[in-house]
This record gives sequence, C-alpha cells and structure tokens, in this order.
Amino acid sequence: MILKEFRQMRRDRRTVALMVGLPILLLVIFGYAARFDVTEIRTAALGPGAEMVEGMLDDAFTVVVTDTAGGVEEAESLLRDSKATVAIVTGAETTVLVDGTDLFSAQSAMRRAGDLPGEIDVEILFNPDLSTSTVMVPSLIGLILLFIGTVITSLGVVKEREQGTLEQLAVTPLRPVDVIVGKIAPYFLVAVLDMAVVTTVGLLIFDVPFRGSILMFGAFALVYLFVVLGLGVLISTVSRSQGEAIQLAIMVLLPQVMLSGMIFPLQSMAAGVRWIGYLLPLTYFVMGMRGVFLKASSFGALAVPLLLLTLMAVVIFVLAILRFRRDLAPKQAAIESEPALEVAA
Amino acid sequence: MKSVAAAGVTRRFGSFTAVDAVDFEMGPGEVVGLVGANGAGKTTLIRMILGLLEPSEGSIRLFGQAQTRQQRRRIGYVPQNLGLYRDLTAQENLEFRADIFGAEPPDAPLASEGLVADMSLGAQRRAAFAAATQHDPELLVLDEPTSGVSPLSRTKLWDLIRQRAEGGTAVLVSTHYMDEAEQADRLVLMSHGRVVAAGSLESIIGNRTAIEVDADPWDRAFAALDSGSRLITLAGTAIRVLGESAESVGATLAEAGVEANLRTVPATLDETMVMLDS
Amino acid sequence: MTATSGVNWGVGDLTVRFGKVEALRRVSLEVKPGAVHAVVGGDGAGKTTLLRVLAGLGLDTDGIIRIPPPGRIGYVPPDGGVFGDLTVTENMEFVADGYGLTGWQKRSSALLGRAGIARFGDRLAGKLSGGQRRKLAGSMALLPEPDLLVLDEVTTGVDPVSRMDLWRLIAGAAADGAGVVIATSYLDEAERAGQVLLLHDGVQLAAGSPRSVIDGMQGNVSNVSSPDGHRAWRRGRRWRQWDPNGERGGEVTLEDVAIVAELNAEERMP
Repeated sequence: MILKEFRQMRRDRRTVALMVGLPILLLVIFGYAARFDVTEIRTAALGPGAEMVEGMLDDAFTVVVTDTAGGVEEAESLLRDSKATVAIVTGAETTVLVDGTDLFSAQSAMRRAGDLPGEIDVEILFNPDLSTSTVMVPSLIGLILLFIGTVITSLGVVKEREQGTLEQLAVTPLRPVDVIVGKIAPYFLVAVLDMAVVTTVGLLIFDVPFRGSILMFGAFALVYLFVVLGLGVLISTVSRSQGEAIQLAIMVLLPQVMLSGMIFPLQSMAAGVRWIGYLLPLTYFVMGMRGVFLKASSFGALAVPLLLLTLMAVVIFVLAILRFRRDLAPKQAAIESEPALEVAA
Repeated sequence: MKSVAAAGVTRRFGSFTAVDAVDFEMGPGEVVGLVGANGAGKTTLIRMILGLLEPSEGSIRLFGQAQTRQQRRRIGYVPQNLGLYRDLTAQENLEFRADIFGAEPPDAPLASEGLVADMSLGAQRRAAFAAATQHDPELLVLDEPTSGVSPLSRTKLWDLIRQRAEGGTAVLVSTHYMDEAEQADRLVLMSHGRVVAAGSLESIIGNRTAIEVDADPWDRAFAALDSGSRLITLAGTAIRVLGESAESVGATLAEAGVEANLRTVPATLDETMVMLDS
Repeated sequence: MTATSGVNWGVGDLTVRFGKVEALRRVSLEVKPGAVHAVVGGDGAGKTTLLRVLAGLGLDTDGIIRIPPPGRIGYVPPDGGVFGDLTVTENMEFVADGYGLTGWQKRSSALLGRAGIARFGDRLAGKLSGGQRRKLAGSMALLPEPDLLVLDEVTTGVDPVSRMDLWRLIAGAAADGAGVVIATSYLDEAERAGQVLLLHDGVQLAAGSPRSVIDGMQGNVSNVSSPDGHRAWRRGRRWRQWDPNGERGGEVTLEDVAIVAELNAEERMP
C-alpha cells in the first residue's frame, strides 16, 4: 500500500511540485522577504541642510533624493509619488514626513527618528493612524480579483473539458473567440461586482479614504482583470482536471500574496528575492490601488505600473487565446506525441 | 450528391499514421456503421469528418463542398460521453444548443425535470440525441449511441435513428458492438488505419467459418487449445476456434487425448473482425 | 485452486435496499464452479448491485447469500479497477502484495499473456487504451486464483479484439474451476455464457441456459415489413414483431427474448 502510494505520488508532478516547492518558497519568503523590521528606508533629504542629513542618519536610511531647494510641499509630492518613504526637510525647523501607507517602513522610521538632533516635527502622511486596514483593504481588492480570476475561472473552463462538452462546442459553428468571451464574461461581471462590494465596505465600514481619480481606479481595475482572467484561461489550458487547475492556481496565487508588496514592502526584501516581486501583476496593482485610494499619486507616478500591467495583460491574454484555440480549432499538421492511445478511448 | 466524400484521406501524428489512404462515401438516408478495434483510426477519421482535425493528405468534402465552419450547422454529433452539461437540465441543454445552431427547441420538456446528472442513462441518451438533431442536420454522427442501455431502450433509440434516416439524414454510427453494427445498412471495417472491409454484413462475413468444439468436460479441451496465438472464444459450453482448419484443431485435441465433436459453422461479425485484424 | 466440489455459490431470494428504494427484489442466481453466468440488463436494472453483493461488499440485504471468503473472490468494478499512475507490472505486484501471494510472477506473465498485454509491462496503466485497461483489471482479479470471479461490464465499450482476449481470460478462469459471473448489456455476449439472468428494474425476468430461456419465451417473434402496434421494434431496415399467442417458427434470438421480457414487464405495469 505504502509502496503504491509512493509510486503514484512520484508520478504526479504537480503534487510533487507543491510538496517540494511550497516549503522552499515559504523558506525563501520568511528567510529573505518577510521583514518586520525594515533595513532599507528610501529617504529624501530636502532643504538647506539636505546634504548633511545623510551623515546624521542610521544606516537604515538610504538617501535617494537630495533637493536643497525643496520644502515641505516638494517633500509631500515625493512621498505621494512613492519616490521615497521618508522625507526630511531641513530648515528653520526639521520636519520629517513619513509615508503611512508603507506600514513597516513607517514604523521603522519612527523608531529611528529620535536619532536626529534638534527638535523635529514628525508627521505621518496618508495614514496618520498607521491603520492596517486602511492599507490592506485596497490591496485586498487585488487579492480577491486574483482569486476569482485564476481559481474560479480556470475551474469553470476545466470543467467544460472534463465533461467532454468542450468537444461539443468545437463542432458547432461557434468561433473560438465566441466561446472564450462567452465563458469569461460571467466571471468578469462577478469580479467587478466583488470589487464594488469590497470598495464600498472599505470606504464605509473601514473608513478607507479615496483620494485619487476614479478614472485611474477604473483603468487599473480593467487591465488587471484582463491579466487575471487571462491567467485563469491559461491555467485551464494546461490542466486536465479540476484538481490540477486548483493546484496550479494555488502555486500562482500564494507567492503573490507574499511577494507583491501587499504585506511586506518590496524594499525590505533581499535583492535576490525582490526581482520576483517585480514580475508579479499583483505588485503593480497594489501600487496602483494604494496610489489611488490613499495617496492621490500623480498620473506620472502611476503610469509606469499601469503600463507594465497592460503589457502583462496583452501577453497573457494573447497566449491564453492561442492555447485555447488549439483545443477548439483544427491546426494544419499539428504534431502530437501520444495520439494512438488517447484516440482509442 | 454525397453527404460525405472522403478521398485518399491520411492523417499522421509525427511518425505514426493513424489513418492511411482511406476512401469513404455515404449519401443521404443511409445508416453506415463504422467498426474497428482500438487504434484502428475510427476516432481520427470521425474527427476529420467533423472538422476537428485536418487531414495530412487527401480531401474531405461534405454536401459536395469543402469543409467550413458554417457548414457545421448541417451536422449533428453525439459523442460517447453525450456532450451534455450534467449540471443543467435536459431542457436547458436543448435551449443552449438550439441558440447556437439557430434552431427551435422542442416545446415538450423531456421526460424528467431534473438535472442531467440525475437522469437514467436511457433518458440521457435520448436527450443527447434530441440536442444533436433539433436543428435538422443532414449528417448525423453518433459514437456508441446505445452503449449500456437495456435491449428495449436500444431499439427505441434505433427507432429514432431510423426515423432520421428516413427523413434523408445521412447517419454514421461508430461502434464496437455487433448488435449495433447489425442495425446499419452497410458497414465499414477499419484496422490499423485502413479500411479492410466494406459492404453489407453478409458480404463482409463472406464464407468465413469457425470451428465449434463440443467436448465434455470442456475445460480439458480449452486447456489443450489455449496456447499462444490461437484465436479461441467461448460459446456456452462449446469452444470456437478461428483461422484454423478442422483437421488442425482435431490433431491438437487428439494429441492431448481429448475427445470432442467438431463442427464447421459460419463466423460471426465479431470473429470476422478479429480475423481481419490479425 | 479448484473450488470445493458440490458447493455452489450464489444468491437466493435476494432483496437489496438503498434507504427506501429496492434496487433488487427477490432475485436468485446459482453460480456453479467452472461455469460462466451472464447477468443481462440495461442501466438501472440492478446488475451492479447484484454483482457487488456477490463480491462481498456490504449492503442492506434480505435473502440468502453464499460466497467464498474475501481472499477467494476476484472483482472488477464497472469503471476503473486499475491504478493509472502505476505500470502494468506494478499493478499486478500491488495485488500480489495485498493478497500475500508468493511466486506470483509466473502466473502474472501467463495471465497478461493470455490477455494480450504482456508486452506493456512497463507502461503506465493510465496510458493504456480502454480495452487494455479492462484486460489488466481482469488479470489483476485473476491473479489470486479466486473461486468466484465477478466482472462488472468488463467488456462494455471494448473493441472486438480485446473482447476476445477478455473472453479468453474468462474461459480460462472457468476452466480452472472458478465460478464466473459477468454483467453485460450486450446479448451476443450473454449467449456465450452457460447461464443467463435477465434483470430489469431490479426484478428478474428470466433465468436459465440461453437455450432454455429462448425456448421458454411466450409466443413468437418474426420479421415483418411494417410494424403492427407497439410490440414491434426495428432491426436494420425491417421490423421484428412479437405475437404473444403465436406459434414458434423461425429463429428467435436471446435479444428477442430480452426485448419481449421488457415489453411484457412494461405491459404489466399499472
């Protein structure tokens, strides 16, 4: 019995991947990515004493912008556009501005703020109470959409394949595009609905502010939806059963929770791991959401994440459609490897 | 005008040839049985006829034209797994299919109100058949249409099939079952990708015979004959041997010291298929 | 290896319930060692239920059940019965280990050879064709040399060549002295058995040797060019008609009898 189970397990590649991959992933994450104490805080130094600031700060503060002519206003817009997490404005008095949306960095900064000489005025922007829910709720939208897009959508499409009805659709006059759109549309609507619910609950019950442009919000949401739905269809084209689809969806979902900057800031992750975060769609969506809800970031600041997300959407969706068409439409001289035995069934 | 005209159709997958230079034709109102062992190429041929696969060589013309996507409105297909959504009712399935093909679903709701998953197999098969025929296709392709249902239910399904044929539909039935094959007007036998026999049941069986061995006790005769590649099967308490002369069978039995009566009898379609396959 | 002489397996007056529903009602089947018995019926007839009782799977039953102990029964369920992720040889090994068999490799080779799948020893069962998988399941059930072999629709959906191999396995088992019960919805198969039991809706309609069942049918069945009433069914381009009061003449097949039995049962329903 034991022997049989081992043999079967060995051959079930996805389960093996999960069993081996997941612990490794968690190890990597908690080893290198999850940082409760941030050791690299991007700092802006402004005002006449800007150049001297660096020398007075703890190693954790990394000065990335120096602007001797700037004042509090410039500091605010630097933080708003996520160019720095902390801004120190020198002058008649020293003002320290902290980005309250980056919880761990903010707390780190607060702890070390006492090192600066003189009287300092510390102000936490965007999220003065350092409230967790304020920061999490916008990101949660991304997580929920990711879940619906990948897990739920892939299940829906795989079920079609499992039931054998996909074949039936293939012999109808329907074009592959018709089938895909028809299948995805309901999930699209459900996702939009969910998004509306979470946003409303966030705004009304959790007092999450909405400071940015609704247009930006819409743009990010739309593009991101295409990414996740595309992922869902893609997963379904490489899964033969609902079980396989779920396994793959989990493997796609879990890293994003940990490495997208949703919980642990990207800055705090070891460089070797950080690059993974930059590949994940959720990362850019979170940037967009935080920018829109909490910081009212300028268009320029958000343009890059939006563009990257759009690029991902295009690539993934095109790939998904191409693969899906293979299941539905005939291809000239398609070379397949195990034809006879599958055909015989 | 032929409903299906396949000429010199070949289909390869890499180095494997699934269908090899097959010529196949059928016309309106005909019921043709496509029979063959696994790996014979039946399924591949059917998929090419349905437009799911393209031939590597040769051509397939339906209703006198090249295959197109719009043409699929004139085809009905019932796969082995029925192709119905199990979590919908039969009526919902019909309506969905009707919308796609631009047909009118029947008014009378089918037998039961429940989900397809809760229906009996006979009812499911009837529903699948209805879904495939409500748009009045001119070509109907059925894969094992009556597998697993009771003898009476089988005849009822065949009644539906015959009615369609009488209305001019060309019906292609793919089956492993002799009971079904016997219902067709003519048969096409495939083996290893080629058509090895075609025609009426009688013409296919031709003069083929089997040797029926009656021995008491039969197990000794069986033990004597059951060796290597000999084609033998059971018939009640008699044993049937294929592809061998009565003398040869008799000699083997005599050598084993088994006394038996031997008769030469006509082969069945099953047995003919096995002999053609080997 | 050979069953104890004089002991017949089987069920007598068997009723099986699932909750309030009677899946089988007062069904009797005597299973003689060394003989093949076919249980015929469509979906829902009760074949699988009867076979599960014979295989020793616990069900809510009334009536007499005589079966060998679990280690002496071989069973192939209606679907599957093989481990797709293991090779053919590994599947056989699993059975051998499970039943504590020694020196089983020789018998395994012989069975796989008879089934025509010996050359697939290292292939994953999941990669075999349907017919080949059923043949493997049959071989696995036969490995422990059971006294009672229960095969549920093992030939359904299987191609003629594999079916012949399966019947060879079946005949071999019977020749070795096992009592064999197979369930099928195909009448030409049932005609190959020594004994036939027709089931419909959980009730037995007829039982006995194919010859006696055919002879025992009421009335006559003949070819007609057009049907008269509902007692007719299609055969190719013609019709077969049942006349309950007619005198027997011409050939009547087991299929005719099965259809007539169902028609009879339908007519008698209120």
